[in-house]
Amino acid sequence: MTYSYIKPRTKSLITSELKLLFIFFFITIIMLLMTYLFLTYKNYAFKQDHIYIEKSKNDFSDNTNKMNSDIKFIEKQVAISKKIFTQNTVLKDSITNMFDLVPERITLSEAKLLKNGLILYGITPNKDVYNFMLQAPLHSIFHHTYSSFYPAENGWLYFVSKNYIDEDEISEEE
Amino acid sequence: MNIEVSRQNLYLLILSVFLLIFVLIFSFLVLIPQGKQYREKRVQIKKEEAELKVQKNYNEDTTQILKTLRSDNKNIIAAFANTFDSKRFKKLHDGYFSELVILKEPIEDNKDGFSVYSVKAVSKINSPKTFYNFLDAINKTEWIISINFPINFKREGEVISSSFTMKVYSNLIDTNSTK
Repeated sequence: MTYSYIKPRTKSLITSELKLLFIFFFITIIMLLMTYLFLTYKNYAFKQDHIYIEKSKNDFSDNTNKMNSDIKFIEKQVAISKKIFTQNTVLKDSITNMFDLVPERITLSEAKLLKNGLILYGITPNKDVYNFMLQAPLHSIFHHTYSSFYPAENGWLYFVSKNYIDEDEISEEE
Repeated sequence: MNIEVSRQNLYLLILSVFLLIFVLIFSFLVLIPQGKQYREKRVQIKKEEAELKVQKNYNEDTTQILKTLRSDNKNIIAAFANTFDSKRFKKLHDGYFSELVILKEPIEDNKDGFSVYSVKAVSKINSPKTFYNFLDAINKTEWIISINFPINFKREGEVISSSFTMKVYSNLIDTNSTK
């Protein structure tokens, strides 16, 4: 016996409301998980980047320090070499001046250039020539000048001229 | 007032609440801290990248300075790296002297990180001008040489006998050489 004219619909456990609910939450959870995965991956990538940057920074730092010490070393080499070149040039000028200082009438037999002085050995026709033409310019250069004479066979005079500069002045120049 | 809720709707409501709670807990306990960490790290990485760029630029500038310094002073650097060779020295400067004797003395001392050799030279020259030329040439030679006092000149007939001390500067063997 039937009580209705329509056929009874089959009842399902998953209703359309439930389906809608599941789809909504499924999409939500998937989006949340994807966001989580994205953040986890990015955090991992940042960590790797941080390690790489730190390593690069250390490498650059070591390299820069090495190059800076090389630069300092080369600058030191250049400074020393320039000082030496200047010293050599000054020395050349000093020797030139020394030989220019000696007049033609006086003949040198020996010259000793010292750090603080000059010793000259030579022969002069007489004391006046020596005093006016050599002693005077030497006296203007050096602080202390000592001369001694002894006769030569030809009537001229051998002389020894010892000229010194005060040590204080040399250390000031250095 | 009597609210009638069917059993099915009740289940639906409970499930919705559970899922909502799950979403909220997941968001607040996992996702938000993770996002916060991401933002902090992103700022930190940008800062570190900027620092790295500055360091890289400084490194490149330093490299350029070193390169220029090396190319500008390559002769000086090479001269400091050279070990004094008395035979070579005689060969190079023989033209200035009619006779040249080189007496190499042991390493005098280490001065400012460089080893200094003392070399005594006894020579015969024809005129002082030859010695001036030698002094000019010494600044262009393969070594860093300073001519030191005392310098003696002595007339010996037609030639001048000269004796002087030279100091040869070179790099210390164990130093960070710039070869």
